[in-house]
Amino acid sequence: MSIEPHSNTQRDLETLADSLSASADGLHARLMRAIRQKMPGTSDPAISRAAAQALFANEVALRQHALGLYLEAARLAAVGLGGLQKQLLDVTAQAQEKIRKIDQIKDLIALTGELLSLAAAVATGAPEKLVAPYEKLKARVESM
Amino acid sequence: MISPRLTWLHLSIHALLIGCLLAVFAMLGGCASSTPRMADVRAFAADAPKLNAYHELTERYRSAYERQQPYLAPAADLRERALDASRKQASDDFRRIDDVVQAYLQALGALAGDRRYDLRDPLKVVGTGIKAWPDTGLEDRHVNAFTGLTRLLSRAVTAPMQERAVNDLMRDASAPVQQLLDAMRKLLRLYDRSNDNEQRIVLGMLEMEIPYLDADRDRLLIALAKSHLQEKTAEYRLIGLRHTLARKNLDLIEQRHRALVESLPQP
Repeated sequence: MSIEPHSNTQRDLETLADSLSASADGLHARLMRAIRQKMPGTSDPAISRAAAQALFANEVALRQHALGLYLEAARLAAVGLGGLQKQLLDVTAQAQEKIRKIDQIKDLIALTGELLSLAAAVATGAPEKLVAPYEKLKARVESM
Repeated sequence: MISPRLTWLHLSIHALLIGCLLAVFAMLGGCASSTPRMADVRAFAADAPKLNAYHELTERYRSAYERQQPYLAPAADLRERALDASRKQASDDFRRIDDVVQAYLQALGALAGDRRYDLRDPLKVVGTGIKAWPDTGLEDRHVNAFTGLTRLLSRAVTAPMQERAVNDLMRDASAPVQQLLDAMRKLLRLYDRSNDNEQRIVLGMLEMEIPYLDADRDRLLIALAKSHLQEKTAEYRLIGLRHTLARKNLDLIEQRHRALVESLPQP
């Protein structure tokens, strides 16, 4: 695996932000589905409020990372620079797919947590910091 | 990254630029038609206010934090506050883009009018003031387009022949105007995507929390929350429509500008 120190183009940042937004959309759909499932014999949601809030907090954090990347892309809209790695997009796409499929709230929180640390590493712009979260997310996606 | 003093300097230079241009238009006045081409140019320039939708959406983008704040949990609020600072700083630059494009359109309209003009002095100020721009964080291509355009404006206003001046201005401004319109289109798209996320943060919080309210104990709160959710949904739908309109206006201006540039007489 190689993540080379490429500079980010406005378009790449935008695509990555789109991808994080899509992950957040997937997470939200999954969360609302869990909330609509009722505990047997009651009208209470099957998922606890604390778990729902934790998932929603991850969703908001993903969106905020997307917002930050959109802002960065906006700043770059007037200059052309290099390209961001395709691997990042692939791995976030895989994570989205998993979000759609996972039924275990615990796994879902863990997966979105990994996705968040990858997004945070992208935001720092330091390529060497990308490798660890990338590997971790990749390993988690593969193990599921 | 820019000192308050510099920011003030840039703002005042900017205000000065717009002021000078407005003075130019006031002096040029009138718009009795000379040739059909000049009438076309004036009609095109009269569309300048269509860029106001971009302006409004830039302002809305700038104030994203204030709208989201009530819905954010403490950790998210902290992150958003950091984002807010850089968003506000960047938006200052974003809103100058349409100011200069509007100034260009207005100058074009005034030039295509029929009166004589002679304005050497105030426009010299424009030429010197713009040099300070590259330090603001507005990027190179941008600043070059901006600087080039203001230089062209000052040259055009001092040119002797009206129609030739209009044609020269359009010909020389064609590339920078194209780039600035391009940048505006990209920024609009990014505002739009950001708005989508903002919408989902705000509506999502309400959607997620409402099911945990107690149907008896929290009846009033449920009613208020649901009604608020409806209002917010309507607000974001309207902003979505505003985005579509802003994009269409920008496309229209770009097409008409290109058509006028393509029909320029050979120099």
